[in-house]
Amino acid sequence: MIKILIFSLLATSSIAAVSAISNDSVTVYSSRKEHLIKPLFDAFTKDTGIKVNYLTGKGGALIERLKLEGKNTKADMFMTVDAGNLWYTGSQGLFQAVQTQVLKNNIPNHLRDPEGLWTGLSVRARTLVYNTERVSPRDLSTYADLALPQWEGRLCLRTSKKIYTKSLVASLIYHHGEGKAGNIISGWVNNLAATPNAKDSHVMNAILSGQCDVGLVNTYYYGRLVEKKPNLPLKLFWANQDTTGVHVNISGAGVTKYAKNPKAAIRLLEWLSSAKAQAIYGALNKEYPANQSVAPDSVVSAWGSFKQDEMNLSQAGILQATAVKLMQKKGYR
Amino acid sequence: MALLVALPIFVVAFSWVLPKHELWAHFFENLLPSLIHSTVILLVGVGIGVTLLGTVLAYLVVMVEFPGRQWLEWALFLPFAIPAYVLAFVYLGVFDYSGYAQVWMREALGLPGFDIRSGSWAIILTFVLVFYPYVYMMARASFKRQKTNMIEAGKLLGASPIRVFFKISLPLARPAAAAGLLVTLMETLADFGVVSLFNYDTFTTAIYSAWGDFRSIEVAAQLASLLVLVAFFLIHFEKKARGQAKYYSTNVSNKKPYQAHGAVGWLIALFVFGVFMLSFAMPMLQLLIWGWGAVASEWSAKYFDLISSTAILTLSAVIITLMIATVLALPNRCKRGSIWLQSVIRLATLGYALPGSVMAVGLLYGINQISAVNIYFGGESINHIVFGSIALLLFAYVSRFMAIAYSSIEASAQQIKPVFTQSARLLGASRLKLVMQVYLPMITPGILAGGLLVAVDVMKELPATYLLRPFGWDTLAIQVYELSAEGLFERAAVPALIMVLFGSVLMLIFQVLDKHSSKGA
Repeated sequence: MIKILIFSLLATSSIAAVSAISNDSVTVYSSRKEHLIKPLFDAFTKDTGIKVNYLTGKGGALIERLKLEGKNTKADMFMTVDAGNLWYTGSQGLFQAVQTQVLKNNIPNHLRDPEGLWTGLSVRARTLVYNTERVSPRDLSTYADLALPQWEGRLCLRTSKKIYTKSLVASLIYHHGEGKAGNIISGWVNNLAATPNAKDSHVMNAILSGQCDVGLVNTYYYGRLVEKKPNLPLKLFWANQDTTGVHVNISGAGVTKYAKNPKAAIRLLEWLSSAKAQAIYGALNKEYPANQSVAPDSVVSAWGSFKQDEMNLSQAGILQATAVKLMQKKGYR
Repeated sequence: MALLVALPIFVVAFSWVLPKHELWAHFFENLLPSLIHSTVILLVGVGIGVTLLGTVLAYLVVMVEFPGRQWLEWALFLPFAIPAYVLAFVYLGVFDYSGYAQVWMREALGLPGFDIRSGSWAIILTFVLVFYPYVYMMARASFKRQKTNMIEAGKLLGASPIRVFFKISLPLARPAAAAGLLVTLMETLADFGVVSLFNYDTFTTAIYSAWGDFRSIEVAAQLASLLVLVAFFLIHFEKKARGQAKYYSTNVSNKKPYQAHGAVGWLIALFVFGVFMLSFAMPMLQLLIWGWGAVASEWSAKYFDLISSTAILTLSAVIITLMIATVLALPNRCKRGSIWLQSVIRLATLGYALPGSVMAVGLLYGINQISAVNIYFGGESINHIVFGSIALLLFAYVSRFMAIAYSSIEASAQQIKPVFTQSARLLGASRLKLVMQVYLPMITPGILAGGLLVAVDVMKELPATYLLRPFGWDTLAIQVYELSAEGLFERAAVPALIMVLFGSVLMLIFQVLDKHSSKGA
């Protein structure tokens, strides 16, 4: 009985393997969640006839799996969030260089790896959010100023374990140096009104309920909230407009080193950078399109335009370990 | 076979052969002192909490007749069906500063608000409410087997019900309660979902930090091996605490020694009902409220796939785990003193203390090492055959959940009196006959309980499933995670509710089988 079971299980998995290699399909490992990527893949299949197999998972775990599978991997493409993750995947030799004219036309230089290992497909901004009944926007300015004593007991932050916090702190280290960045983090920790939250949505709830007055969020979480409840006393404030600009991050993808069907993978990557796909991206998740010819979703455009931090995004990956050590030293949970 | 089950344990133990990492200095200085402190507080708090709550509840439903007892006895199992992180999520939504409960307290009562995630008490309470059923289940089974005449004797000697509880019932239930406690502590050690929602740092935090932040799988494995060491000691102490105590009893009576009348009865009912409300009814209500509006947009044909994948994986894992656990538990009971067998069993059951994703990556590394050896001898890599196969995923489940199946079967094997074996032998029964007609029927309640626990745990399992599953084998737990990770709690409530429904059906089947088997005994 067990033998039959195991045999049939092995058989099904090898059938899956065969179908994954066939020419008119492409296989994607993705740390973006299914409900965010499936509509895109469905549209791609409709346009090109190429079928997309995908496996979602946590970024770090999928990278390990890719590494261990080596030459035998079924994945043609790896898709993940955060420049640090993309940079790390590239640095481990898991991506192959892809430089096509279509990608160059569609996606600006600073959102692509210089060697073409990965391509940014959407842009997310991490900025200040505040309670309009308790804070005047005149008092807000930079990430660093949230460390000032005037915010004592008024600040809510997301956990330091989240990749978005790590990349933001990496940008602080890049701009201010490790010493000053450390002081900023100490100031933040000192100003906290509550234990750092697990999620951006919890930070916004805390601000709305009066537990704290100001916090930091990725704009799309704010977008999803105000789409449902438009009249909340909660607003975004674009940070560092007189200095380095708002910290931005990307989600993106690259073609794997050992892709079985690199042609189809490149075709998918190019298609994802196209105006059509970029509009779907923006509407699905309230992110900013990476393709500059596409206007953001109407909810998003209502927040106005802002100056972006132009730090090369690979720095987020290079400085990530330093950032984490710094936060752990300063007791930022 | 059991050694194979322990493969992930060997992988993490082997990590010490690798050179020492400079990361250790940083961890020692900045993370470990406070982590160890908070982990110990958590374990002690949760341990005391589940032991008290679990045994008291079990005692009440078995020994005392009070209003609503019959359905509460079964309702108290239901929290099993809710994944711990879902429960934690609901509690935060209701009781944190911005939750209804606190808003009401501030607005209606004028009380000051507070951060429930600071300190340890709220997370301890959450774990207690999630995990008390482990102790409850095992203690209940044990109370049921206790001779009522011992309690009657206590009553005749003039002991108060509370004294009878502490002096007679509790010592008798100690082995079973200790087994439940052990499972709870290992589960708490391995947890990542609840602790990350509360942002409470435990030892697991350091493992994830080593791996996720510093990309050092070596340090992560070394830290994980320390966790396994702790589990090893826990098991050791449990065995010690159990000691040589052998509490055999056979006659099962349905008569309740105590009748709680009037106000006392209603107070007991209120207490038990309160636990049920807090650990199941209230979270379910919240899930229903979230899920109600989302069901139209979330439900699709895809759910048939999710449900069938979950069911197939659960069923296969349960069958394999139970078979191995029974094979391990029986000879251990009958031929005592085999040190070799004892150590094998210990190794095979340690996997429960490993966080699911550490175990999953450990497995991938183990397979990779086997491939490397194979290549060295001129063979081929087996990675592409094994990775992403169902066999590997089932292997992970068996390896991770062996401890619960084993401890539950072993606890009921405690009842096999040596005299049974002797008399069966004297009557000329063959070894096979002895196993089939004497041992198996006696440990059936343990097998059923173990099967239920494994089934519910496999159904809820996330990290290993997430990393190891083949294409197209998404489960309900994965759907819950993916939606709630993106803040879509309303939609996440739909698969969560289906899981609870599943779990409740399992519980119902268990109830029927349990009643049947106790009638037969």
